[in-house]
Amino acid sequence: MTVFNHYVENKHRRPGPLSGIRVIEVCTLLFGPSGPSFLAELGAEVIKVELPPAGDVTRSLNPFGWFYREQSPMFMHINPNKYYMALDLHIDMAQQIFKELCAKSDIVEFNLRPAVTSRWNIGYEDIRKINPGIIYIEKNGFGQWGAYAEQDRPSNDGAAQALSGYAWISSFPGRPPLKQSIWIADYYGGLMGEVAVLAALHHRKKTGRGQFIEMSQTENLMRAMSWVWPFQQATQKGVEPSGNRDQCICPADTFLCKDNRMAAIAAPAPDEFKGLCAAMGKPELAGDPRFREHTDRLKTENALAILKIVADWARSKTADEVEAAGVKHGFAATRLHNAVDQNTDPHRRARGFVKEIDDPLYGRYVEHEFPVMMSRTPPRIKWTVRPVGFDNDYVMTKILGRSQRQIDELYGHGVLGKWKDQQGRRPPPGWDGKEGMIIRR
Amino acid sequence: MADQKRPKWAAWADHIRSLDDPARNFEKPEALDDLVVIDLSSRSMAGCYCSSLLAELGAETIRIEPPGGDLVRTYSPDGIMVKDTGLAYLQEGRNKYHVTLNLETEEGRDMLKAFAGHADILIETYPAGKMEAWGLGYEELAKINPRLILCSITAHGQFGPESGRGQYDYDNVAQARSAIQYATGEVLPEGKTMEEVPHAVSTKAGPWIAWSTSGTFAALSILAAVHYREMTGEGQAIDVSTPEAYERLNDYALHWYADQGVCNERFGSLDTCLWLYGFYPTKDGGVFLGGLRLEMWKAFVDIIGKYDEWKAEEWTTLAPFMKKDWQLKYQSMIDPETAKYTSHELTMKSIEYAKSGRLAPITPVVAEIVSPWAAMHDENWQDRGIFTPVQDPVYGSIVCAQAQWKATETPPRTKWACRPVGFDNGYVYLNYFGFGPEKLKELEGKGVI
Repeated sequence: MTVFNHYVENKHRRPGPLSGIRVIEVCTLLFGPSGPSFLAELGAEVIKVELPPAGDVTRSLNPFGWFYREQSPMFMHINPNKYYMALDLHIDMAQQIFKELCAKSDIVEFNLRPAVTSRWNIGYEDIRKINPGIIYIEKNGFGQWGAYAEQDRPSNDGAAQALSGYAWISSFPGRPPLKQSIWIADYYGGLMGEVAVLAALHHRKKTGRGQFIEMSQTENLMRAMSWVWPFQQATQKGVEPSGNRDQCICPADTFLCKDNRMAAIAAPAPDEFKGLCAAMGKPELAGDPRFREHTDRLKTENALAILKIVADWARSKTADEVEAAGVKHGFAATRLHNAVDQNTDPHRRARGFVKEIDDPLYGRYVEHEFPVMMSRTPPRIKWTVRPVGFDNDYVMTKILGRSQRQIDELYGHGVLGKWKDQQGRRPPPGWDGKEGMIIRR
Repeated sequence: MADQKRPKWAAWADHIRSLDDPARNFEKPEALDDLVVIDLSSRSMAGCYCSSLLAELGAETIRIEPPGGDLVRTYSPDGIMVKDTGLAYLQEGRNKYHVTLNLETEEGRDMLKAFAGHADILIETYPAGKMEAWGLGYEELAKINPRLILCSITAHGQFGPESGRGQYDYDNVAQARSAIQYATGEVLPEGKTMEEVPHAVSTKAGPWIAWSTSGTFAALSILAAVHYREMTGEGQAIDVSTPEAYERLNDYALHWYADQGVCNERFGSLDTCLWLYGFYPTKDGGVFLGGLRLEMWKAFVDIIGKYDEWKAEEWTTLAPFMKKDWQLKYQSMIDPETAKYTSHELTMKSIEYAKSGRLAPITPVVAEIVSPWAAMHDENWQDRGIFTPVQDPVYGSIVCAQAQWKATETPPRTKWACRPVGFDNGYVYLNYFGFGPEKLKELEGKGVI
């Protein structure tokens, strides 16, 4: 496609597709903030409202004790491109300011337990009164009603993996259920939530009407579990795990190779399967009655037979040789990638999917770009996170038109707040007191 | 559960339910009913999933398959078929019209161009270059319809050194490519090899999560492009690569290696970044335990009766618990304690603790690790409409996971599960092109449909 020629170097010449849309979030951890981040990467103006002085809990999280310039790498990864405001929503005056902001916004997002927003006088009914076009989303573990929600149970990503059946079918046969190494229910829930939000935006354009949306991260994972449900209905049997074997596609599995690395292969289509058989030096297998048609190959007994053959072949090749055979013979194959590949792979870099951020507070560091390339409106990450309340002045001056004196008064009343003197909340070490500040330096 | 005491905020729950219960979805308008989507997906459920999301929101969605049907129709455990369709596609044929069109013929390609003239959105999953080779690349189609949004979902993207590889996009390969599979799985016991312990290796997620993720990123970007088009009139091309889409959900691993040279490795069902956060055994299975604040961890220790013995009173920060050695040490101390209870007993203990425990209302997250069978038969989810079967005119009553979010105005909904191959040729070709039965017979004779 010529339309993507020089895409990466020209990204800055076009707006993001959502420029002009304003989003307010009151979200913590990952499920909540991930969604608004995707909108921010698509060009929306996102104001992250935290409770002063500690803010989002994610600021404390880290892999085995590693922080990047005192900041949580997870917090950085999931909160780019936002403006950081610290507003104590327990206080009336803060609730009023929040409402003023909502009156000037398109979308507002929360991940709190049910009815907390209502207690803070910023529930859907409160906000709808001042902005009937508002798109208002609440995300949590169990939704706003139903038996589990009414138990007031806390939830999080791991609970959703457990309760949806996702973990059950993600281990090897006969082994205990396995948790994913990523927070899949959080991130995937955050992503799907924005599909709901943008569809609502489209509806609003046609009708002027906003709406309330609620999402349970467990329910959302269930939507992605596909054939599991009709299988159980049709066979009256539960689905069981199958390790790295794809139960619906054959051959599709991950194999141990000669160099003790692993490689994944998929070759279900006739041309792909023939290609794989040729690569293995066994073209006759493509005509074997057990393997000829995809639906025959999927019969468990046949699937295990062909996968054994492929496994033996893969064990005699290095993982890179398996990948190269896929390219040569026209079937899907890859060496298993890890964090080293993420960093060093030229393909990721050439596509700008892995890139360097040049941030006024945190300097240069490596980050994942929004994973969609749009020819006219390139999404992108521009900056990373800020200390708690860092952009208060920007929001209060630019959007709400408050004077410096009024802002200082709000600080005095504890309505607006700033960071606590704690890792992840305060600016990174060596900050000069000015860099990155927008209004007041 | 039926006699559960209702919370103080029950009125809120009732109010929201009165506004967004999926049982009333069909009374409500559809967000995208002014859009026409053409789904040309080949071999990939990412494209089908993407068009499902749009179709659930009311977009008129026309699924184009080659005569005989697309390969995805065969995706099914044990090769089980319901009429002409596997169980996987029975989930993602939803709300779509199904026509056949042979793009290997010139007339077929010309008809695709005609569709492009009608469409707002076109989704395709051929390896990069294939559409261009057919004369159906973005540049060609944009000449016909500059407002068109063309979304390509592939294994290697539309540009970059590997984009010319010509391979199709499969979920398991994308999971392997994303670096997420690498860091997921049981830890190899010391001194053992992967051949000796074949389950202690990098392990992919069971569901097609890479496909679902790229399909959802695609749907999100399409809706963003629709928004931009309404402001400017301009369509565009969208390039999604499935391994990248899934990899974006990976978190700190990229940065950790870049800054510290640490390659993120498997850590079983514990979590490299979080405490308390993992799977633990019970008398009848296992539970997930979570508590990302110190008080939640202390509350858990209190629940299992170790508050004094483990000196929880003295803990002032969670930080040391996140380190690897402490995680392993405490895991081995917790395991025998949780194994004394059933999963249900532990769950109820945490709910009770929120009311009467010494740290109440703080309580840890406890969730039973259930099978999909148990999940599907859980009254809570059934009540919330996730598993309400679709009454399909052709395939009968089919459980399709739906109502993945609830909304007061334009909720997603599923009207039918699927259609047989070419089932809607008559209606769609008449409606869009005015082609009647005689013309269709002629096209069929020529192998075009």
